[in-house]
Amino acid sequence: MIEARDVSVKLAGKRIVSGIAFEARPGEIAAIVGPNGSGKTTFLKALSGDLGYDGSIVINGREVSATRPVEAAGMRAVLPQATSLAFPFTVQEIVRLGLIGGRSGALAGENERLPERALAKVDLEGFAGRFYQELSGGEQQRVQLARVLCQVWAPVLDGKPRYLFLDEPVSSLDVKHQLIIMDIARDFAKRGGGVVTILHDLNLTAMYADRIFVMHRGSLAAAGTPSAVLSDSLIEKVFDCRMRVGVLPAGDVPFVLPQSVVM
Amino acid sequence: MVDHSIAGPSGLMVRKAAGDRSARARLAIVLLAVLLVAVALFSLTAGASDASAVDALRDWFSGPDAADRVLSARDRIIIYDIRLPRVVLGALIGAALAVSGAVMQGLFRNPLADPGIVGVSAGAGLGAVSVIVLGGTALAPFTMLLGSMALPLAAFVGGLVTTLILYQVATRQGRTSVATMLLAGIALSALAMALTGVLIYMADDRQLRDLTFWQLGSLAGATWTKIGTAGPVMLIALVAMPFFARGLNALSLGEATASHLGIQVQKLKYIAIAGVSAAVGASVAVSGGIGFVGIVVPHLLRLTIGPDNRYLLPASALLGATLLILADTVSRTIVAPAELPIGIITATVGGPFFLWILLRKRGVIDL
Repeated sequence: MIEARDVSVKLAGKRIVSGIAFEARPGEIAAIVGPNGSGKTTFLKALSGDLGYDGSIVINGREVSATRPVEAAGMRAVLPQATSLAFPFTVQEIVRLGLIGGRSGALAGENERLPERALAKVDLEGFAGRFYQELSGGEQQRVQLARVLCQVWAPVLDGKPRYLFLDEPVSSLDVKHQLIIMDIARDFAKRGGGVVTILHDLNLTAMYADRIFVMHRGSLAAAGTPSAVLSDSLIEKVFDCRMRVGVLPAGDVPFVLPQSVVM
Repeated sequence: MVDHSIAGPSGLMVRKAAGDRSARARLAIVLLAVLLVAVALFSLTAGASDASAVDALRDWFSGPDAADRVLSARDRIIIYDIRLPRVVLGALIGAALAVSGAVMQGLFRNPLADPGIVGVSAGAGLGAVSVIVLGGTALAPFTMLLGSMALPLAAFVGGLVTTLILYQVATRQGRTSVATMLLAGIALSALAMALTGVLIYMADDRQLRDLTFWQLGSLAGATWTKIGTAGPVMLIALVAMPFFARGLNALSLGEATASHLGIQVQKLKYIAIAGVSAAVGASVAVSGGIGFVGIVVPHLLRLTIGPDNRYLLPASALLGATLLILADTVSRTIVAPAELPIGIITATVGGPFFLWILLRKRGVIDL
């Protein structure tokens, strides 16, 4: 369980995020959406322990700011928006870095094969020997996800749920791989873990998220299930766009069709 | 590209994951260790005395009885009291400089970081020159208190201060700008050298002779006493560095990601900076500025065994030691009976190599 109360973050004296209440439960995908600059990444960084914050963020009963990196690494793995690499590592070597904390949760003796299995999950079989820097942006993003998956291979460890923090995990992927990655997130949640992800695609959000947090100018504009949150009026207010929200014929999944920019 | 299989213990083929270069790296480390021993033996026996490597080895393992000895008394002095300290000191300094280079590159996340290029050696030099020139006057309490440790310690402090300033200037929110790092290094080098110049201007004739020799970089002054003072510092730094290889690996993904993986990044940075300053300071104190070992060695190794610091650091130590012993052997034999300062040899070989790196990386590193 992740519970954030009244979280504010200041960067260089400027308040970027204020008064956020947030909750992510094991078994669920919690999506954070909002326009550029609304504070999504800053909030996720506070959640990841990268930035100091006011208020309280508790993961599995532990306050984030009081958790040492090595302990936090056992509770959650973080996929950043982009990763720059300093030296010519192979894909295999990058993915294996996910194991350095030593708490993958895989059975003894399985760790050696985890990179390969993680790469297969993200549809990069046969890429282990390639140099990371030679891959396309989308492939690099999936390599990083494979690394993140190795770190928290078992969604539950010692009876406690673990979490994936994903910052725009599908931003540079084609449609097929968007679905593959979101399915991985859903599977992780189904097996008892929790997922917190920033997304831009509202339709993907509607399809996969159990709970949506809409951020607007550093504050929370709305929170709830997709059908409760996604409405014409809220979206127009937050995104400055006219959109049509409908419901797919098969089931209760809403869809969002962009119409025009609000002048 | 990479071997997909290696021979297992019983001759069975053990499947090895593609892209895993650790088997190759381990093999390279063994080969480099053998090479180091061979080069050290060669260096012990190369020169005016004609004792062979075999004789030297047999003598080394001969009994305490003088009658069993293989070497003449003269050869024993040449080998044990003149050449052996040079070989040992050369190995220590080469290892210290190469490992320091590799660690700095990991810390700055940049293959161009090198103690010599970014001013750490110049800062350490300033510390050392201060002790040589002011040791009898302004710094007298310091030198009296510390004795022979004063010089290496001052060099360490000089290197540490330079590294800290450099890191503060060049790194913002965990990202190091290459341009800022190199430019700050140039500024710090210039400043340290200017202050060194002032000190040299103040020096008397005897101090000047010490300084000139020291500045060119040479192992000619190697004695067991010097090894006794600077050696432990370098050894501690060398032994400590492999312990943060894992952390440096994680750091190559960026500071935030390293922290997410469970690395205490701030602590790692402080220890790495202290280790580099100690190792560079100690080697500058005993041998002056020897350039390019720190950038050439790790770069060559990354090309063959990859950037994994668990293997890169020990391999750098071995290759750095080997190259410096070799350079020293050349420096004392090429114009025998005179000597060429070793700094000239490493710069002659290292300079063009550095240019080659820049040419190769032109597309990648855009200043």
